[in-house]
Amino acid sequence: MFERLRRTFSKFVDSIVSTVKEDALGEREVSELAEDLYLDLVESDVAVDVADALISALKAKLVGAKVPRFGDREAAVRRAVYDALLSLVGDVQDADFESAVIEAAEQARPVVVMFLGPNGYGKTTTLAKIAYLFKSRGLQSVLAAADTFRAGAREQLEEHGKRLGLRVIGGKYGSDPASVAYDAVQHARSKGIPLVLIDTAGRMHTDKNLMDELAKIQRVVEPHFSVFVFDAQLGNEALEIARYYSKHVSIDGMVATKVDSYPKGGSILTFLYTFKKPIYFLGVGQRYEDLVKFKKEEYIAQLIGLQPGGR
Amino acid sequence: MRPLTELFSKLVEKIRGVEYIDEQTLQEISRELQRSLLKADVPLDMVRAFTDTAVRRIREERPPPGIPVKDFVIYVIYQELVKLLGGEAEPDLKLPKRPYVIMLLGVEGSGKTTTAAKIALFYIKRGLKVGVVETDTIRPAAYDQLKQLAERVGARFYGERDGNDAVGIARRGLEQMKGVDLVLVDTAGRHKNEQSLLEEVKAIYDAIKPDEVMLVVDATVGRQAAAQAEAFMKYVPIHSVAITKMDSTARGGGALAAVAKTGARVKFIGVGEGVDEIEPFSPRKFVARVLGMGDLETLVERV
Ligand SMILES: Nc1nc2c(ncn2[C@@H]2O[C@H](COP(=O)(O)OP(=O)(O)OP(=O)(O)O)[C@@H](O)[C@H]2O)c(=O)[nH]1
Ligand SMILES: Nc1nc2c(ncn2[C@@H]2O[C@H](COP(=O)(O)OP(=O)(O)OP(=O)(O)O)[C@@H](O)[C@H]2O)c(=O)[nH]1
Ligand SMILES: [Mg+2]
Ligand SMILES: [Mg+2]
Repeated sequence: MFERLRRTFSKFVDSIVSTVKEDALGEREVSELAEDLYLDLVESDVAVDVADALISALKAKLVGAKVPRFGDREAAVRRAVYDALLSLVGDVQDADFESAVIEAAEQARPVVVMFLGPNGYGKTTTLAKIAYLFKSRGLQSVLAAADTFRAGAREQLEEHGKRLGLRVIGGKYGSDPASVAYDAVQHARSKGIPLVLIDTAGRMHTDKNLMDELAKIQRVVEPHFSVFVFDAQLGNEALEIARYYSKHVSIDGMVATKVDSYPKGGSILTFLYTFKKPIYFLGVGQRYEDLVKFKKEEYIAQLIGLQPGGR
Repeated sequence: MRPLTELFSKLVEKIRGVEYIDEQTLQEISRELQRSLLKADVPLDMVRAFTDTAVRRIREERPPPGIPVKDFVIYVIYQELVKLLGGEAEPDLKLPKRPYVIMLLGVEGSGKTTTAAKIALFYIKRGLKVGVVETDTIRPAAYDQLKQLAERVGARFYGERDGNDAVGIARRGLEQMKGVDLVLVDTAGRHKNEQSLLEEVKAIYDAIKPDEVMLVVDATVGRQAAAQAEAFMKYVPIHSVAITKMDSTARGGGALAAVAKTGARVKFIGVGEGVDEIEPFSPRKFVARVLGMGDLETLVERV
């Protein structure tokens, strides 16, 4: 996964190691090499502003850093790059979504999870994958078809409900999504069903009315988890999306989808950096099982070619 | 499109504001152009080629008599941007035969089904009879989605709710469309690593021999658009492209440029979720909008 971004970083480490003659890294040589890295990052779909931030963090870590004259210089440089990356997204704590939900279900019933994001990135499919995951752990869900806008949205969720053996609460096309979501929560409460998963209509961050509508659903049902779903193939648009979404709605965590199409992986860095929220899962296909846990440190270590936590 | 417009119109203002264009100013312009294009997701090699050519032309070419150097610089940028996005030619929207069959393909969620309905409405408004066929047997309720859209725009619909033979549906669908002027065949989403799905799309293509294969690309994926186009081209010819979700902050420029590089032509752009939110794509108009210049047309005519 994310081959391209990994090659970008290892090329950078190699060029630093082979250029540096002294036992400390000088400003000029780091800057020169960082310029190439910058372009490679952008070409790997890291948003331009995030690449800027990363380059500054790298310079701060690398300029003046001591590298052993002999021995494992490479490991030392690699470590510095790893630290720089981590410093960029370090305050984002990994979250074990599955345990968090199971824990929350011991306190409150139902636990409400809402899915949101721009058009066509995989909200409905991800919701169904998560319903499947919890079902296999013995937790039933009610699915709320609060996308009352897009043609076929309700039927799509109903089909998933049928396949998974789960109840779907919907409303007429054009009806108020917040009230559909509310009805689903009431239904779960009265039947003692532990989980409510709310599907919402895709919306462009640039559409203020639709963003307000999303905020309204959040006010009405107060979800325990609001999950932002994004397409891992995004480029610079990721930054704009994150900026607008975080202005209008609250987000607890994220899922990156379509990772099986071999995206370059830069959007993951962009979203971690701008939202400062954990990524719960990666979507890696169209089947219910195609959902894998995401761990930030593993992801970064993989990019740099380090064992997570190791030296 | 706003941020891109802002970037470029600032640049244009800056060029108009300087006393004269010396080497240092030229380098500055070149750097800012690069950054703006990178922010718009234009692939790096294209950005480099673009700025090299633009800078060389500004250095070497003399403006025509009566045209100030600054205007000439803007004109060169305009011209090169148009070239980057596919050239001067306007898209050909005529349908050379009846029925004319367009097959849509693209990665998951790029906007194929919505675009099928939009194009249907585009031609219905021009007095044609249009039909749509749903061959997606993978995404739950793809059938319902296109059926509802077809009803909304007044197109004839064919699909099989619980079918699993996409090739058969396509073939039977076309048989049902006698007397229709334009048929749009929608397909399931698929990407470059889904081998069996790519083979399926080739089988549909071989079975119905569409007059046009249209690739549908999401503008927000930026430069990934090229890789998508190239992957599909290994299986079927791509005759045209529709770029969707241009109502994002889009950018879009990157997707447009990446597509132009593959040699395919962008025919339509989608600018919203509504069935009427589609426009034929004209690089010249698009660039004029991106540069944020109402007076560009007159400038272009003067040069
Ligand atoms: N290959 C692949 N396809 C995916 C993945 N996640 C979703 N998809 C596909 O992407 C397409 C869109 O998914 P949806 O779940 O309908 O997306 P959405 O965000 O709900 O879309 P809207 O409701 O229209 O905004 C479908 O064809 C899904 O099968 C993934 O991880 N990998
Ligand atoms: N904002 C905006 N949304 C669009 C546009 N075109 C399509 N969409 C939305 O994008 C989402 C995906 O569109 P679909 O037409 O279902 O995409 P698809 O390619 O058929 O998806 P699959 O069949 O699952 O591969 C839907 O929510 C559409 O409403 C557009 O131009 N602008
Ligand atoms: Mg959906
Ligand atoms: Mg579709």
